[in-house]
Amino acid sequence: MENLILIFISTILINNVVLTYFLGICPFLGVSGKMESALGMGMAVTFVMTLATSISWLIYYLVLERFGLTFLEYVVFILIIASLVQIVEMFIKKYSKNLYQSLGIYLPLITSNCAILGVALFMIVKEYSFLESVVFGFSGGLGFSLVLMVMAGIREELDFADIPETFKGAPLTLITAGILALIFMGFSGLGGG
Amino acid sequence: MKKKELLKGLWSQHPIYRQLLGMCPTLAVTTTAINGIAMGLAVIFVLFFSEFVVASIKRIVPHQVRIAVYTVIIATFVTIVDIFLKAQFPQISKNLGPYVPLIIVNCIILGRCEAFASKNKLSNSLLDALGMGVGFCWGLFVLGSIRELLGAGEILGQRLLPLNFDPLVVMILPAGAFLVLGFLVALMNQVERWKI
Amino acid sequence: MKQIFKICAVLTSICAICAFLLALTHNAAIGKIEENQKKAIQESINKLAPKTTRQEKIKVNNTLLWKLYKDNALIGYAAIASGQGYGGEIEIMTVTGPKLEKIKGIEIIKSNETPGLGSKISQKPFKAQFENLDVTTPITYSKTEPKKPGQIQTITGATISSKSVVEILNKKIKALRVNIQ
Repeated sequence: MENLILIFISTILINNVVLTYFLGICPFLGVSGKMESALGMGMAVTFVMTLATSISWLIYYLVLERFGLTFLEYVVFILIIASLVQIVEMFIKKYSKNLYQSLGIYLPLITSNCAILGVALFMIVKEYSFLESVVFGFSGGLGFSLVLMVMAGIREELDFADIPETFKGAPLTLITAGILALIFMGFSGLGGG
Repeated sequence: MKKKELLKGLWSQHPIYRQLLGMCPTLAVTTTAINGIAMGLAVIFVLFFSEFVVASIKRIVPHQVRIAVYTVIIATFVTIVDIFLKAQFPQISKNLGPYVPLIIVNCIILGRCEAFASKNKLSNSLLDALGMGVGFCWGLFVLGSIRELLGAGEILGQRLLPLNFDPLVVMILPAGAFLVLGFLVALMNQVERWKI
Repeated sequence: MKQIFKICAVLTSICAICAFLLALTHNAAIGKIEENQKKAIQESINKLAPKTTRQEKIKVNNTLLWKLYKDNALIGYAAIASGQGYGGEIEIMTVTGPKLEKIKGIEIIKSNETPGLGSKISQKPFKAQFENLDVTTPITYSKTEPKKPGQIQTITGATISSKSVVEILNKKIKALRVNIQ
């Protein structure tokens, strides 16, 4: 149990998916402009990530490893993720037209969200058990959402500031992310590490 | 030989600094110049062969599954590169670590396959791949060199700054990656504005 | 109906071709990959015990170790200690003296610790602490300057990684003592 809590806290704060492992930068830069879309994207990613890690774990250990096919890991995982995203997209389209409108083109982009594939690959490297992997996937999504929303909050404020032309858009977002990364480094003492 | 298709990836439509694609590996592996180059070369290989296959089979792939098909093709070539590195260059494989499989979701590759190779002829697609790939590579090299220089006083392992230079360790850490990239993109923006 | 059939057919055949291609590549390269791993192990032994003229690889009770000789004198043992670190498994090559009173040093063969923090266990300053370290009693650690023999200082911001290295080593040395006696 203690281990699960440690994984939960460290994945969100200390080894944050975005700020430490550089996963999910594309949606991070693209969707963090408004709080609403950040929240929607964050929830979608958390959902897909948790499912993806669970299903990938099962297929890896029950199928690939058993039959010595681990070299198919990347192809199989990405297929799982692509299918999951397709299903989630159909689901959202049917049950929440508003959410579908606001997330727009970003949904299919979740497939190529390196965060999801990255977290799935990491859980294999870290040799997590099934329960640990599910927690890892869930907290990875939460960590991503957290950073996305903090960034959205900051960017909404920055909309009112006077920014030099050259820095508008991506450069400022990247520099802000850098400062955020510096701040999150302060959390590294939390794990007793 | 359409020169334009080859050159656009090198500057005007630079994948990193202009299109802002492929951020994840850009930030993660550019701790040193050599790692940047290694990743760049791996991407050139995957991009070239992926665009090759996609442009060749574009007529027989049904529209609804094209993304899934492209992704499987890309994942296959990435796995080949990964196996190759583990066998022939184990040290680089260790340095690049989990970021090699992440080439699969490098938006540049899927992006070019979908936006270009699926709609253009084979020869142009190959030029596009080379241009974008080499552009990506030099982009990584520049970022990696700056971070290595300021964070360790070296480039490509060669000590360039005087020994009493106290390295800015933050450059090798994630925060430094974001900061340097942010300034580089701003620089590219400024250069483009001066041109006009 | 024909559409769905075509979609499935194309997707399946492409997957099949790719899987076949990967199987070929994997089989072609697996020999070299395993050879690389063996080489890494040998290199770490050579680094830690350069005066070795002969090695004898033996297995005692499921523990794999190398007996190191200089000419005909036993100068030590080499063994791979492994266990859970912070980010995954850590594999450490360590060379001990013939009486298991000291370790000559360590080399980290495999690790997946946090870049910039835990990854420092593979670097000189941390590893150097284990050179000629007294292990007559289990290795201990401290967050500040080591105060007694057999104690090392943990890396700032990477206590768990550092602790893991110590615990993995202690466990291995204990097992070696039991098996060599």
